[in-house]
Amino acid sequence: MAEDSIYSELKKEGMSRRGFLKFCGLVAGAMSFTMLPPIEGLTDVRGVQSPVKHGTIEMVAKALQTKQRLPVIWMEFQDCAGCTEALTRSKSPTLVDLVLNKITVEYHETLTAAAGFQTEEAKLAAMQKYAGQYILVVEGSVTDLDDGIYCTIGGKSSMELLREAAAGAAAIVATGNCAAFGGLPRAKPNPTGALGVYEVIKDKPVVNIPGCPAIPEVFTSVLAQFLVFGTLPELDALHRPKNFYGTAIHDRCLRRPFYDAGKFALSFDDEGAKKGYCLYKLGCKGPTTYNSCATLKWSGGLSFPIQSGHPCLGCSEPNFWDGGGFYQGQSAPISKPTGTVAAAAVAAGVAIAAGVGMANVAQKKAAHSADKEEEE
Amino acid sequence: MKTISNIAMNTFVKETGGYVAAQLEACTRCGMCADACHFYVATGNPEYAPVWKIDLLKRAYEQRFTLSGKVKLALGVDKPVTDEDIQKFSKIVYEACTMCNKCSMVCPMGLQLGPLIHEVRTSMSNAGVVPDDLMKAVNKQVEEGSPLGVTDDVYDDRIEWVADEWEVDIPVDVKGADTLVVFSSIEVMKFPENIAAIAKILNTAGEKWTLSTAGREVVNFGFYEGSEERTKMFMQRIFDAAKELGVKKIVVTECGHAYDALRWTSYNMMEVPAGIEITHIVGLIGEYVRSGKIKLKAGAFDNGVITFHDACKIQRRGGHIKEPREILKILAPNSFKEMSPSKEQAICCGGGGGVIAIKEADPVRYAAFELKIDQMKAVGADAVVMSCSNCRLQFTDCVQHFNLDVKVKGLSQMVADALEER
Amino acid sequence: MNWTAVLEFARGPFFKVALLVFIAGMAYRIARIIMLGWKKDRVPPRGSKVEGAAISFLKGILIWPFIPWVKDTFKRNPIIYIAGGLFHLGLFVVLILGTAHMLVWKSLLGFGWATLPLPIVDWLAAVAIVAMIVLFIHRLTNPVMRLISGWPEWLNLLFVFLPMVTGYMMTHHLFFRYEVLFSLHMLSVNVMLIWIPISRISHFVFYFFSKAIHGADFGKRSVSP
Repeated sequence: MAEDSIYSELKKEGMSRRGFLKFCGLVAGAMSFTMLPPIEGLTDVRGVQSPVKHGTIEMVAKALQTKQRLPVIWMEFQDCAGCTEALTRSKSPTLVDLVLNKITVEYHETLTAAAGFQTEEAKLAAMQKYAGQYILVVEGSVTDLDDGIYCTIGGKSSMELLREAAAGAAAIVATGNCAAFGGLPRAKPNPTGALGVYEVIKDKPVVNIPGCPAIPEVFTSVLAQFLVFGTLPELDALHRPKNFYGTAIHDRCLRRPFYDAGKFALSFDDEGAKKGYCLYKLGCKGPTTYNSCATLKWSGGLSFPIQSGHPCLGCSEPNFWDGGGFYQGQSAPISKPTGTVAAAAVAAGVAIAAGVGMANVAQKKAAHSADKEEEE
Repeated sequence: MKTISNIAMNTFVKETGGYVAAQLEACTRCGMCADACHFYVATGNPEYAPVWKIDLLKRAYEQRFTLSGKVKLALGVDKPVTDEDIQKFSKIVYEACTMCNKCSMVCPMGLQLGPLIHEVRTSMSNAGVVPDDLMKAVNKQVEEGSPLGVTDDVYDDRIEWVADEWEVDIPVDVKGADTLVVFSSIEVMKFPENIAAIAKILNTAGEKWTLSTAGREVVNFGFYEGSEERTKMFMQRIFDAAKELGVKKIVVTECGHAYDALRWTSYNMMEVPAGIEITHIVGLIGEYVRSGKIKLKAGAFDNGVITFHDACKIQRRGGHIKEPREILKILAPNSFKEMSPSKEQAICCGGGGGVIAIKEADPVRYAAFELKIDQMKAVGADAVVMSCSNCRLQFTDCVQHFNLDVKVKGLSQMVADALEER
Repeated sequence: MNWTAVLEFARGPFFKVALLVFIAGMAYRIARIIMLGWKKDRVPPRGSKVEGAAISFLKGILIWPFIPWVKDTFKRNPIIYIAGGLFHLGLFVVLILGTAHMLVWKSLLGFGWATLPLPIVDWLAAVAIVAMIVLFIHRLTNPVMRLISGWPEWLNLLFVFLPMVTGYMMTHHLFFRYEVLFSLHMLSVNVMLIWIPISRISHFVFYFFSKAIHGADFGKRSVSP
């Protein structure tokens, strides 16, 4: 039985043609926050290729009218469900609606109504039914240490489950820092041997959407693009979509002028903090953190950590838990010798000098006596 | 059989203490000292840069005392010091350095380059790589008591003649005198009027002074050569004479190097008889003028333009910068003009440090003097005064060589000529 | 290549090791020199050694760097005075009054201080870089400099130049991504830290020895150093 297109499903739910086109505009916008992958024929009336355009909306409308719903399997491993929380509480209800309802989420541990083996069976059924078509979303890191006992579902280890689900996936989206790079579970000393998905799965395209949590709009955009165009966004070396992770927070930060002017908050309650000065000295990791927080912001564009007075923690970067203190300036070294170790180094230097120095003194004495012999 | 490089290196090792090492470590090899050296500026020969003159000392230090230097040597990046190196540098440190220490005034790290180059000379001297002319003079001083051949007899004759000629009392070998005055043989042989002048000043001031036949030579060619042994030997003669006569004070006359040796070096080299003060004649005259022991005719030389040449060892390294100026301001209040640079920053005459004694160094010596000519021309000097006979010898010789219309004067002589009778 | 990992290494263990090598190396050099022995100076002084040393430092730190033309050799070779002075000025301002660097000191020493606005620091950094290029050309062309420059002198220039250039590129996000430049900056800083104890960049420590010697030598003769 052929399934309905997304548009016909929306129509069945009572969406008007006008409402549908507005919806298409939203989706197009979601995909095009900074740039759109170059697609032929995507030009506006003047023939100029440009990001969000009438033509794009038509393109989206066409896709939604012809394409069927996109099956998604959502696996959670060593995670906190924060990415799911962020998504469900997103201020862009229409988009979330798109993702959670119009795109079929076949399996999601937190959201699914069913429980136990029932859900596992449903998942396996979906994997078979949509083999080669579904998107696998992973939330949380995987672990294989000690036969994977640290994270199991239904007796299977996270690694096993991941490989099983990845085998039939069209693409994998790793949402949140844990799934992307190992996140919190991987913080030193990494007791569970946590790994990011792209370190395990090499034979399928993996899109990382790191963040703690991932920005919901970024997540939906990636899915929307796959839904509409059947393509994945261009990725950087860390498998992150370039259009969202292309620039450092620092470069788009609203407090940047204060950085350039050398005006810094020195504590969270000083005059500088009240005036909205730069948080660099309070440990902001903005300069090395690539994400769209400063432009997309959170809660429907309301604010983001730096705006509300907290330095960036660098949560979209690998190993951000171990990248130096959260409240220590970024230029400060991650590890430094303690006073004792430094004193030991001084002692070592002096000890070598004592050795060399003794040899030198002996040498001088020898030189003196050699001269005396000469005289005698 | 020991090679000269062996002996030189051995000496370097002996000389290198914290003082030398700390300064060698501080050198950044910025090359700024080159522009301070009159020999480099005059000739443009980069080997005359002061930093290059201590290169052997630096290499010896690195190779013998530091781990990195030993590694460099093992890797072949640095070569062991060879006999040829020593010979090559001998020419540089003896013929193109007056040890005037002007470079240390320019060095951003404040290296005492003069004393460091002296260490290099010491090594050369121990290794026996000293220019022949200089060595001949040294040997003459060892054997005859004076590099210019002023033997006991010659000295007595000369002093007697001066006393007669200028009609001054010159006490010789007077036991119980307060002050032992030691002249340089340059004064004895070439500027006898200086002896008369100083005698006149001392007599007028009522100083109980004497000369000594045994300790008659203040010039120290051993110090030029850099030989510790002979430097001590020559100074010992003076100290023995001072002890013998029981004086309280030794006055060095117009000789710069001798003053550096006796006043600033002897104490760290040997036993200086206790209770004896060592001073320079300029310091003494300055004291007389200040205390009113002698009175000078104000404006006695107030015609034309008179300038003062600061000797490296009496002014910059001796400290007698104020006295000559106080005196000249009395003698020539209007016509005295300072050269630029002057005082502790003055440019050396180019003849000190034994350079004038080395015939082969004549071309660079004359070249270096051209800087002095420029300085004198800039103030339009008709006469130039100085308090060092070695400088005066160089000036006299160069004035003749370049055919200049400048009078060369000794400060003591001017003071003597302007003395008010008591 | 995962630059974040490189950066972590450069800011982490490598920096720690480099700093320890630096500390141990400098302790070694200072101790070795002190162990060579200092002869007591028995010469009766005419003036105060302490005063001489004080004037020596005063002139060396506060006067000559800022008005080098008072030295008569300035006119013979103004380039090295101006370029040398500006290089050191830029270097010290950037190292001490640059915000990022102050935070390094703060993490090492435990206390921080107020810093200068970025544009000022930035200009001085640019000036220091240009000055360094001038000094390089000077070393390359001046006959004295050529004579006294061996490979350690060229390496000195290189190892100081690299951190400066990468640091400058980093603040301006030139050519590479921030973390790449940050990594290169830290790597070059670490290399420099290791190089300092075996090279003449260590003159910033021995300066205090030689200047004190200089001042004392002149002070005891009552000559202004």
